[in-house]
Amino acid sequence: MSQSLKPYLTAVRASLTAAICLEDFSSQLVERHNIPEIEVDNGHNPELILNPMVIARNENEKILIEASVNSVRISIKIKQADEIEQILVHKFTRFLEARAENFFILRRVPLKGYDISFLVTNFHTEEMLKSKLVDFIIEFMEDVDKEISEMKLFLNARARVIAEAYLIPFD
Amino acid sequence: MMLQIDPKNLLIQKTLTETIFPEGDSGSPKSLDRIISDFDYTNYHISTLPDNKDLLLISLYLKCWTDLAQYGVEKYLSTKYAPFSEYLTVLTGNDIETSFNFSMVLNLENLNSLGSEEVKLAIIDELALLKRNAMASAFEKAFARYDELAATYADSNTYSEEVQAELQKEQVLVINYRESDESIYIKPSFDRVTVVFLTIFQDETDKIFGKVFLQEFVDARRRSVQTAPQVLYSHKDPPLDIQSVALSSNDENKGYITFVLFPRHLVKGDRRENCITHVQFFRNYFHYHIKCSKAYMHSRMRLRVKEYLKVLKRAQPEAVDEDGKAIDNRKTASGRRFEVGRV
Repeated sequence: MSQSLKPYLTAVRASLTAAICLEDFSSQLVERHNIPEIEVDNGHNPELILNPMVIARNENEKILIEASVNSVRISIKIKQADEIEQILVHKFTRFLEARAENFFILRRVPLKGYDISFLVTNFHTEEMLKSKLVDFIIEFMEDVDKEISEMKLFLNARARVIAEAYLIPFD
Repeated sequence: MMLQIDPKNLLIQKTLTETIFPEGDSGSPKSLDRIISDFDYTNYHISTLPDNKDLLLISLYLKCWTDLAQYGVEKYLSTKYAPFSEYLTVLTGNDIETSFNFSMVLNLENLNSLGSEEVKLAIIDELALLKRNAMASAFEKAFARYDELAATYADSNTYSEEVQAELQKEQVLVINYRESDESIYIKPSFDRVTVVFLTIFQDETDKIFGKVFLQEFVDARRRSVQTAPQVLYSHKDPPLDIQSVALSSNDENKGYITFVLFPRHLVKGDRRENCITHVQFFRNYFHYHIKCSKAYMHSRMRLRVKEYLKVLKRAQPEAVDEDGKAIDNRKTASGRRFEVGRV
C-alpha cells in the first residue's frame, strides 16, 4: 500500500464508523412508511440529515459520506488517469451495479460525479455487523485501484504480443 | 495460445477431407449438401449434383464480389485452380449456381482414380483457401501495377514534381468487404504499396481497446520488428493517399489503419503470397483480439465480484442461540456434531 493511501483509508474508516450509527425511523411525511431519509428530499425536516462529508486523496479520488438518521449514502470516485482507465472503471462499476441485489448495500445508480454509491440503512446494520460492513467498503476501495491497473497492464501486454505476432510473419 | 487466425476455412477442409477420404469402405459415394457460412457474410455451398454423385459443386458468395470482378477475380481464380484442371472445372456465366458468385465442379471419380495422395491434399488445401484466393486477386493486381511502376520509374528522378503528381493520380483499388461501409483501399506506387483498412468500432470499449492495440502496432515496428511494414493509424479522417476515394465523415467510430508494404515484402513468390494472406486478414485478427480481451475482462470481473461477495458475507453474523453463541458447525474432537434443539 502506498504511503498516501494509508492515511486516506484510515480517515475513511474512522468517518464511516462514526457515520454508520443508525436507528429505525418512520417517515414523518407519509404515514406507515419507512424510507431511507437520505434518499428523500428533506427540505422541510432538515433535522433528519447530518452534515455531509468529503474525504479526498486528490481531485480524482474522493469519497462522499452523507449521513442521516436511518441511512448513510457513501459515494466513491475512483481514480481514472486516462481514457482506458475511464472505460475500465465504467465497465467494472456497471458490472457490479448489475449485481446490486447480491450486494445488499450497493446502489444501482451512482451519485452524479461519482463512480459507485453504497446505501447503508438501519435494516442492514441490524442484520449485519457494522465493523465488517466498514471493512468491506475499505477493502473495496483498496482493491479496485489495483484491479483496474492490473486490467490495464494486461491490455497493454496483450496488445504488445498480438502486434508483434502479427507483424513478424511479414518477413 | 491461438494467436493467428487460420486463413483456411476449417469446415470446407473437413467436409472435403471426409468426402475425398471416406472412412470405411462404403463403396458408392454419399450425397452431400452443406451450406457453410464464414465471416464477412461469406457463404459457401458444397453439394453433390442431383444426377451424379461423383460431381461435387462448390460455390462461393462474397460480399465484395462486384468490386473484385473489376480487378479480374474470375481470371485470377481460373489460373489459380488451373493446375487441378483434370479434376476441377470452373463454371462460367449461367452455369454458376444462383445467388452465388463463383462455382466449381470437382470430379470425385477422376480424383479418386487418377489423383495421388498429395494432389488430393493440395486440392483440399487450395479449396479451403477459396476466400483468401478471391480476395487476393485485388492485391495481385495492385502488386502487378507496382511491378510496372517500379520498372517505369527505375531510372527517373522520382522526387521531381511531375513524377510525384503522376503517382498521386494512381488509381486506388477499393474493396467494400463488409456491410456498413467497411473497406480496404490499395494504392500501388513505384517503391511501395499502401493498404488502408477502414474499420468501424461497434462501441466505445472497442474503440479504446482498438486504440491501445494500434498504438502497439505502431510501436512494435520501432521496438523489435524493424523489417515489418510501416503501420499508421488515423481516427475519423482518411489518410492523404486515399482522400480521392474515401470521403471524410464525422463518424466517431471510424478508424483508418494504413500498412505501407515495402519492396522487401513484395518479393515475388512465397513472400508475396504470404504477405497477401497475412495483410487481408488484418481486420479479422484485430477485431478477434478486441473481443478476446473483452471476454477476458468479463471473466476477470466475474471472479472479482465473487471475491467481494465473500468479503461482504463476513458481515453477516452466524446464527446464534439465546446466549449469543454461534450454533452452526461446532464439532467435537472426534468430528461429531452437537445436536442443538433436540430434547
